[in-house]
Amino acid sequence: MADVILFFGSNADTMIATKALKDAGVTAKMIPKPASVTASANLCLSIDAGVESQAKSALTTAGVALGGVVK
Amino acid sequence: MSLRVRLLVTIIGAVVLSFLVSVVAARFVLQHDLLDLGNTEVTNGAGAFGGYWDSRKNQIKLLVSQDAVSDALRKDLQTHNTAALQDFLSNIERTSGLSFLTVVDVNGNVVARANGPQQGSLSSNSLIQRALTGETVSTAALLDPTFLAGEGLAPQAQATIKNAGGKTVAQVAKGLALVSAAPISDQNERTIGAIYGGVLMNHYYDLVDQTTRALGGSTAILQGDAIVASTITQPDGTRAVDLRIGPAVGVVKNGTPYTGTDTVGGTKYLVRIQPLENDQNAIVGALWYGTPFSQISSIIDHITITLLIWGIIAMLVALALAIPVATRLSNTLAARSKQVRTAAKELGVVMVGSEVSGDHVAATKAAVERSAALVKAIAAGDSSKIGELQAVNDELQGDVTVIDTLSQEMASRMKQAADRVADLNDVAGGLNQLVTGEKNA
Repeated sequence: MADVILFFGSNADTMIATKALKDAGVTAKMIPKPASVTASANLCLSIDAGVESQAKSALTTAGVALGGVVK
Repeated sequence: MSLRVRLLVTIIGAVVLSFLVSVVAARFVLQHDLLDLGNTEVTNGAGAFGGYWDSRKNQIKLLVSQDAVSDALRKDLQTHNTAALQDFLSNIERTSGLSFLTVVDVNGNVVARANGPQQGSLSSNSLIQRALTGETVSTAALLDPTFLAGEGLAPQAQATIKNAGGKTVAQVAKGLALVSAAPISDQNERTIGAIYGGVLMNHYYDLVDQTTRALGGSTAILQGDAIVASTITQPDGTRAVDLRIGPAVGVVKNGTPYTGTDTVGGTKYLVRIQPLENDQNAIVGALWYGTPFSQISSIIDHITITLLIWGIIAMLVALALAIPVATRLSNTLAARSKQVRTAAKELGVVMVGSEVSGDHVAATKAAVERSAALVKAIAAGDSSKIGELQAVNDELQGDVTVIDTLSQEMASRMKQAADRVADLNDVAGGLNQLVTGEKNA
């Protein structure tokens, strides 16, 4: 299954999102921001497309604002 | 509820509570002290009323004594010139304000009366008896209906006594009077008769009016426990007379003065009721002196209202001063709280960043190890692993970039965290100063 990239407003939010997803049992890999993505943060998260909804739910619960999703 | 509201409610509550306690205490003390003062005033007033009463008694005694030594009176008595005696007595009675003036012979038989030609005997009258023994006596006395009828004074004394509810409780036929009796002697100092005079107090207002004019307040003369003359005004403007006075019952019965409240004619008075005794120390009535209780209660109410008004003004001033103070305090605390929240959030990010960085470094380490294993396999001649090594290498490039970014981010965050720790120290010092007033070293 293809990966989904989640990006956020800042690197700090990206770190917090990583921790939130880890706590929720969602595997996420922190990667450099792809050149095709326009975002203020240099880092973003790569997750499996199958856990996208679970990841979004975990981020909402943790109060982390999602900047955007690239599939 | 915010701290600001709690502070204000506490200040307002403390001010209102202390204010109310002060007002209640002031009212209680005033009530007590003014009542004491009122009691003293009516006691003094009653004493002065007693002085006016005694003065009138002495005046009557002096009049009767002077008449007893009149040559004209003696001659007319010796000659039994009844007509001349009657004229003489009438003139004196009229000019001196007496209610009756009567001359008896040595046996107590009436020779002449100022009030008319009625004859009769007063030999059973104890005062006449004492006068005929040569003694001049003066006292308050209850005059019996027969004597009053003989003097034509019965209508003045007769009354229907009612209680405060308007119910008839007694019929009065006797009269309360200040009387005096003195012996009449011939030139050899032998008693040849006696003169007996006095003022009937029933419905006689001269004495109470004079006393009230001089002392203020209200006065009343009681026969037994009933008012027979007074300056107490009823709601319809008439004098309160022929009324039973409740507190006077005990005074007349026990002979003990009463000081306290009494309601007459719909008005509450602070009164002093003192017993009146006759020459035999039997209680025949009482003197009532009172001042309207409203004089005291109006002073208490006035002071209470004044205290309330000034207290409310003081409370408003205190609040006007307290509100800015409470606002400044709560604003300071809110600013400190915001600093703490910001610092906590920053430190939280640092902690999360540390954890995430650690995880990422561990994952990178695993990728490096995997890369090393692939290089070793390729070196051993397994060229099929080259593609996989390429992918791992790409991944490692990304990981290194991430590590670099994270390290820069963490360096920046750590600096900010260090600043926040300094902020927290500042907040702690500020709070400590706020609570204890001590400045941190």
